[in-house]
Amino acid sequence: MGYKLEKSPIRKIVSGLVRFRWFALFMVCSAIIGLSPAVLTAGDNGPCIECHTNPEKLKTAEKAKINPVTGEIKVISMVINESTFKASAHGGEDFFCIDCHQDLDGVDLADGHKPNLKPVDCITFCHDDPADDYLQSNHVKLMKDNSKDVPVCKDCHAGLTYHFTSIGEKAPMYVPKGTDPLHRRLTIESCGSCHQEYFDSYRNNAHGQIAALGHTTTEIPVCFDCHGKHKILNTSDPESKVGKERIMETCGSCHANVNASFVKHIEHPQIKNLNYYKKLLAALKNARSDPENFKKLLKNPQTILCVVFVMYVGILTFTFTSFGLHSLLSWFAVVRDEHKRKGHTDEEQH
Amino acid sequence: MKSNTNYLRFGFFHRFCHFLIIISFFGLVLTGMPLAFRGYDWARWLYELFGGYPTAGFIHRICALITFFATFIHFVFLFVCVSVQKKKGFFWGPNSLLIQPRDIFDIACDIKWFLGLGKRPDFDRWIYWEKFEYLSLMWGTLVMAVTGFILWFPVQFTKIIPISVASIIDLPGIALIIHRYEAILAAGFIFTIHFFHTHLLPEKMPVDEAIFTGAITEEEFKHERLNQYKRLENQRQLQNYEVAPPSLFVTFLTRLFAIPALITGLVMVGFMLSALIVWIL
Repeated sequence: MGYKLEKSPIRKIVSGLVRFRWFALFMVCSAIIGLSPAVLTAGDNGPCIECHTNPEKLKTAEKAKINPVTGEIKVISMVINESTFKASAHGGEDFFCIDCHQDLDGVDLADGHKPNLKPVDCITFCHDDPADDYLQSNHVKLMKDNSKDVPVCKDCHAGLTYHFTSIGEKAPMYVPKGTDPLHRRLTIESCGSCHQEYFDSYRNNAHGQIAALGHTTTEIPVCFDCHGKHKILNTSDPESKVGKERIMETCGSCHANVNASFVKHIEHPQIKNLNYYKKLLAALKNARSDPENFKKLLKNPQTILCVVFVMYVGILTFTFTSFGLHSLLSWFAVVRDEHKRKGHTDEEQH
Repeated sequence: MKSNTNYLRFGFFHRFCHFLIIISFFGLVLTGMPLAFRGYDWARWLYELFGGYPTAGFIHRICALITFFATFIHFVFLFVCVSVQKKKGFFWGPNSLLIQPRDIFDIACDIKWFLGLGKRPDFDRWIYWEKFEYLSLMWGTLVMAVTGFILWFPVQFTKIIPISVASIIDLPGIALIIHRYEAILAAGFIFTIHFFHTHLLPEKMPVDEAIFTGAITEEEFKHERLNQYKRLENQRQLQNYEVAPPSLFVTFLTRLFAIPALITGLVMVGFMLSALIVWIL
């Protein structure tokens, strides 16, 4: 998760000049307009950028934000990096701050605006398509069932913010696309920050091991390629991408001519998951009282994978200890013989 | 002082096969190990060094094909020797690479020697650990080839097993685990046990040149394999094995090739050991 936007010295000077330009513009403007109050209107980012590029002009330069899913507390700077904003998908000529921060429309800025704005509503007017899928997903259902806050777009689309902090907030230069390798890699980590076990087992698999080496082009499947982007559903759901009905189609999008046996492959092997071994041992202990559960676990393809893994750990340990000892001993014996032989020849010479 | 009488230990064919195996083995290990140790920075660096995805994968497959080729010509050689030329001694006797009753005796003698209870035992053409290395290479190549092919063509391989079996036995999943840990076993074994038994012994340091030049000096021959020397002497065949000592140039080439390979192998062992230590801690 170490993507910081490094600022080169040249860019610092340029952004400094830009800041100065806005500052100069502000001075000129305020001189011309005089005492007339500044009112925010659509079609102008000037008043926002004027203060939000300069921490000294802000009442609050930094705010703490709690992620509703992970409970993680982040410090978010209220300072905007203008060039980042301009380069982003939302930074075009006909796009304005108050299009998203709608509760600031028409606000009088004489004493600044109210401190806590409403969360940005990405859905209602613009991104209703993915949102519609998302609201049907298992994530939303679970959060609602447990009466928790539903995670909003930005909680997963980490870095989709133009705010910059001194501790290095991620700020991608564009709204991330599903085909972008960096975004694809960041999503694995986003999913993994909650689903730790699945993240670990994914990395034990053929797909995940290449992703772990930093290759996340579209040829390497990441979480959302198989589980879906916004409409992530439980496997029991007929519409789920990894459920019985659609798994052939999902695997087939990369592997030509898939067959029903191929899609039985275990994508999340539990070979390094201690909890699975505990479960196995417990089932083995209760094999007499609960034979059904034991049989079920025996028939689970994970069990064979675990047995093969443990077998190999045994083979490795045995081979390296026995042959390592053999090598050491033969080395030692050769040196000892050499030493003796030298001693003999020395005696003969004397 | 090296004596001037040299004997042939490895024929050209065997030296050529060993060379092919070195080239392909290093290619396979260097492009494959990063996947097994994916969490470490050195793995990422090594993977990028070989072109990353998918280039490293292509190199891996090409090297696998070279290994198959070497194995194939080795078995053709054995077949021709046994079936066509009707040579004896491939399954039984001192020239066989299969385990013989004598090897059990040799192991016991060797352990005595290790403990200082006896003198170094005299060996014949193949010492028991050399046989073990040969047989484990054969077995390992078979395991790696089968699992590697399953991973190369997962769809085609799963097609031949019925769904009821596939839902209990996950063929590509098992193949991946076996391929990964058999690879660690093979690489670890070659880069430590094979290196320290054959090349890095105090009396051989840094390389046993016989596998590259084919020649072994009379002193070394008597020291290492006295039984074979005596046997050939009694059969009056010793002269047939006499060869010219390797030229300085050939020795130089051998070292130029072998020493970097040894160092690469030892560095890989260092990487793997560091990973093991990190994992234990």
